[in-house]
Amino acid sequence: MRKNKEAKAARRAGRIKTPEATFLGELANQQSSKYRLAQGFGVLFTVSLVLQAWALANVFSDMALHQSFSLSLLLLGLFALLLRALANFGRERICTSASRDIRYGLRRKLVSHLTNLGPARLRIEEDAALSTRVYEQVDALDDFFSRYKPQVFMVTLIPCAILLSVAPVSWIAFLVFMMTAPLVIIFMIFVGHKAAQANRRQFSVLAMLSNQFMDLSQGLAELKRLKKTDEARQRLSDSASAYQKTTMSVLVLAFLSTATLELFASLSIAMIALYLGLGLLEVLPWQVGSSPVTLTQALFLLLLAPEFYLPLRQLGNDYHAKQKAEAAATDLLEILNTGSQDNFEDANQVAEVDYVSSASQLSLLSFRNLSWLDEGRYRLAPISADIMKGERVWLSGESGVGKSSLLHLLLGFEEDYQGQFLINGKSFQQINLPDWRAKLAWLPQTPEWVNGSIRRNLLLGLGSKEGTALPSEEDIQVALIKSQCDEFIQALPAGLDTKLTELGAGLSGGQMQRLSIARALLSKADVWLLDEPCSGLDQDTAQAVLDTLHLVSKGKTLLIVSHDTHPILWADKHWALTKGGLNEQSRNKNREAIA
Amino acid sequence: MSNHATKTAKLSLKSLLLANPLGFAVPVLVGIIASLAGVALLGVSGWFISAAGLASAMGSALVFNYLTPGAIVRGLAIFRTAGRYGEQVTAHNHLLGLLRTLRLWVWDQRVAKDSANLHEQSRGDLLQRLVSDLDQIIRWPLVVFLPWIYALLAYAAVAILAYFILPVLLWPLAFAAIFHVFVVPYVCGRFASHAVHVGQILGVHRRSRFVSLFSALITLTIRGHWDDYAQRLEQLDERQRRTEIHIQQAVSLGRLLAYCVTIILLASSFYLAGSFDSATGHWALLEGVQGTWMVGFALSILAVNELVLPLVQSFVAQGQSQVGLRRLNQLHQDAQSSSEQPIKKIEQLFFKTWRGYHASSGMGSPTVNMTINHGEFVWIRGISGSGKSTLLASIAGDCLSSGEAFINDEKYPIYSNPMYQAQLSYLPQTPYIFQQSIAANLHLGNPNATDEQLWGVLEAVALADWARSLPNGLETLLSPQGRNLSGGQRKRLALARLLLRQAPVLLLDEPFDGLDKATIETICHSLQNDYKPDILVLVSHVGSRIGDNARVIEL
Repeated sequence: MRKNKEAKAARRAGRIKTPEATFLGELANQQSSKYRLAQGFGVLFTVSLVLQAWALANVFSDMALHQSFSLSLLLLGLFALLLRALANFGRERICTSASRDIRYGLRRKLVSHLTNLGPARLRIEEDAALSTRVYEQVDALDDFFSRYKPQVFMVTLIPCAILLSVAPVSWIAFLVFMMTAPLVIIFMIFVGHKAAQANRRQFSVLAMLSNQFMDLSQGLAELKRLKKTDEARQRLSDSASAYQKTTMSVLVLAFLSTATLELFASLSIAMIALYLGLGLLEVLPWQVGSSPVTLTQALFLLLLAPEFYLPLRQLGNDYHAKQKAEAAATDLLEILNTGSQDNFEDANQVAEVDYVSSASQLSLLSFRNLSWLDEGRYRLAPISADIMKGERVWLSGESGVGKSSLLHLLLGFEEDYQGQFLINGKSFQQINLPDWRAKLAWLPQTPEWVNGSIRRNLLLGLGSKEGTALPSEEDIQVALIKSQCDEFIQALPAGLDTKLTELGAGLSGGQMQRLSIARALLSKADVWLLDEPCSGLDQDTAQAVLDTLHLVSKGKTLLIVSHDTHPILWADKHWALTKGGLNEQSRNKNREAIA
Repeated sequence: MSNHATKTAKLSLKSLLLANPLGFAVPVLVGIIASLAGVALLGVSGWFISAAGLASAMGSALVFNYLTPGAIVRGLAIFRTAGRYGEQVTAHNHLLGLLRTLRLWVWDQRVAKDSANLHEQSRGDLLQRLVSDLDQIIRWPLVVFLPWIYALLAYAAVAILAYFILPVLLWPLAFAAIFHVFVVPYVCGRFASHAVHVGQILGVHRRSRFVSLFSALITLTIRGHWDDYAQRLEQLDERQRRTEIHIQQAVSLGRLLAYCVTIILLASSFYLAGSFDSATGHWALLEGVQGTWMVGFALSILAVNELVLPLVQSFVAQGQSQVGLRRLNQLHQDAQSSSEQPIKKIEQLFFKTWRGYHASSGMGSPTVNMTINHGEFVWIRGISGSGKSTLLASIAGDCLSSGEAFINDEKYPIYSNPMYQAQLSYLPQTPYIFQQSIAANLHLGNPNATDEQLWGVLEAVALADWARSLPNGLETLLSPQGRNLSGGQRKRLALARLLLRQAPVLLLDEPFDGLDKATIETICHSLQNDYKPDILVLVSHVGSRIGDNARVIEL
């Protein structure tokens, strides 16, 4: 909604601003004081440019005509050159620092946003792809903020300053500049547009090529077994050659238009040089015998001519920086726009009647008409149910009915729910979230591992806070025996100090799941939340893991999400979640149904 | 195999330059022409105007030959533009060729790697990094080498001019050239190349820590420890920021230095070319030094200044390319002497005190002795984690093993032995489906298979009905890693591909997982009739008709 309004406002202003452009503009505004300072340096740069041209023109003309020149003017010219270098230095330092502040601030914001999203971040992309966005894509904004953005100002400043200083010297040169400048700009827009198109096309083909390379590489083991590696190599080679051909035909056109622009600038410099030369020789057809300019003025104009077109050409070169930044902004906005709805309704909710009844005071968890509406669609249909302390509940249902969402609510990562959600009779909003979370153990489909030893992973986040001691070696052994990890860990050459990587160091899926059970035991958590712990495992392994869970989770409060293919026969309750709500099946009926 | 030597050579920056010397010579030449034309454009037009001014002041304007210099100025302008254009086009062409060469190099290295260690490089983000390293490296000749050549030659051209004006001018010019082309880039490099290297490595480190921490986000959050860990992530970011500042400072300072060298060069040139005339308070040029030529000289120095500025930055690209190269060279494999000893048709397999294991963990199957004869079907069973799959993979020569293998009573090394693997078809637990059409995936099994054969084999694995229901039939494009297929479909498609090979030995790892009874029945029927192998080894926890008729090995 808000976006629509913004778009409308922008259109009313006569200019359509994409969300990306708005986003980049807002980021730049954070550093507006630095950019203003950079503009100050830009003015200094321009002034020294004109001063240098004027001083050197005087020196050069004296040198040509009288074989001598004024030392002070030479020094002035060289000083102006130095000033120009210094101004450039200052401008560069400020712009890069502004870009750094913007990017590192944005990155911090993105990381904390992703942290708050919790499991919902995976709706955007998997972690590896998110890391690309957070690091590479944010850095892709650099050229835009450090070069393109300040250059836009210089593009208007320098030509205007040069026009002003040329006007009193020669009207013809002034007119040549005036006439060519708009043409150059029109060309620029045209060329920029063309180049952007070519760029985009090239980008997508390049992505396709990388994709093919990745695909073949990932299946390399298969290709080796099939003895088809040479064929695959040929395919890579052929498509690279084909890509080279098509890209070149696109690039030839793109460069051609840039070249036309360059030629234009070069020729107008040459034109001015020729005009000045002929003028000095007094052979201009319309004023033979008199010179329109003095030598000093002519040299002044000649020195300024290339500088007139230079910023425009630079902007043309930096145009891809803008393209790159906008492409990156699309990806970054997707992160920032996920789950960022403002929840105005929360205030109303707190004021709602408290459902606290005697029944829910006994139960550990109670849901009263709990639902989760996301963009007008139920992510979770309204449910009402209770879980007593020490009860083990099996939650099943088709994918997409909100099983995982319910777990995310319990983990405290989603606050946009409707209805009531009570813990020990207290509304979820009133409880102390860190205290509640400390009671939880989380066992998702793919166990959560960091790079490091098995021991480090077992103790992940345990101890060292508020006086809680780290579990002793004995505790670890007990937990390992209970979760039936002891055998395979003893078989490992490095035992508990074996490094776990994302590959799992040769451990099977079932063994990894057992290790997370051991971790849950070590954490002494009372409430275990399990999200399809068996879905990646084959039948036998899954059954064995579930049997272990049955034994070790006695006395704990358990909510386990599992498909009907992996029934939890020992659960106290079976909840079947559907689009319409929750059906509770009694324990006995449940067993009969399975049998 | 004439290119075998280049296939396995290590990569170096020099080899990048010499990868396609002719293709590279064109952009270099054109670029040189364009750069020199750019310098000459300013020099000649400066001289032309001042000479014209002088001529008109001397009253000899009407006899001054203005047409030739005018034409030269216009010609140079065109040369410069056309040269730049030509350079861009040819250089990009060369760059794309280089990309192809490097990609194939990486491919060759990966093919040369033995099967057991292959998977450690197959992870998505590592490959992604390889691809971006490649893109980084191919830019090296364009960003580092070419600007350097241009600057050097531009200095040489100005030196010729200086020699004609006043030979003593060569001295400051030589000093400036040494400073501009060698000293300043070197000093900047010394100052910051460490930061460039650190930055590159930090970047990878930061990324992997991000992935590692975020994969345990919820556990860390509910334990209340996320903030500590997030802080470490922030510290890494802070370090990266400091290296970035360091590099940017080096670049900016380098540019300032380059400017200063130019200013000193100009000042000393004027000093050497003249002497102070105390009468007028002016600085007069020495006898024999043409003022007009001096103007041209000074202007060309300003033009050279523009050419040397990019050199300052080159150390960044240099460092990035070096890190990229080093990483790529980690892939490098020495040429393997794989046994090319031919193996006769397999009649019997005998494994003595045989054990398959994983190098990383040392875990694997129990030690077994087994003989498998022609026409025999074997079903390996065992509880989960007993090492069935590892044993099968080691029999397939895909996984490390200890013990001895005999084929037809002769001892052979079978690990990664292409001669052996040519005679068998192995279906792993998670086979790979390529992002190509169904037909292309199947043709990997047998490139000459007709459409009838393809339909036949799809029928055999009960996929024909599914394939017929697709709008594009056999030409349907499969999504990356076969993601639009179910696990069972992926496996059956891979099985179909293997059946097309008609290899005498067939090794199947859990082919029936997640399939219904009727489908299992169809596959069993095919394996016992039309697609019957000489030897079949099956690992499965699901019972089937094949299993019932097979010899059972219990692990």
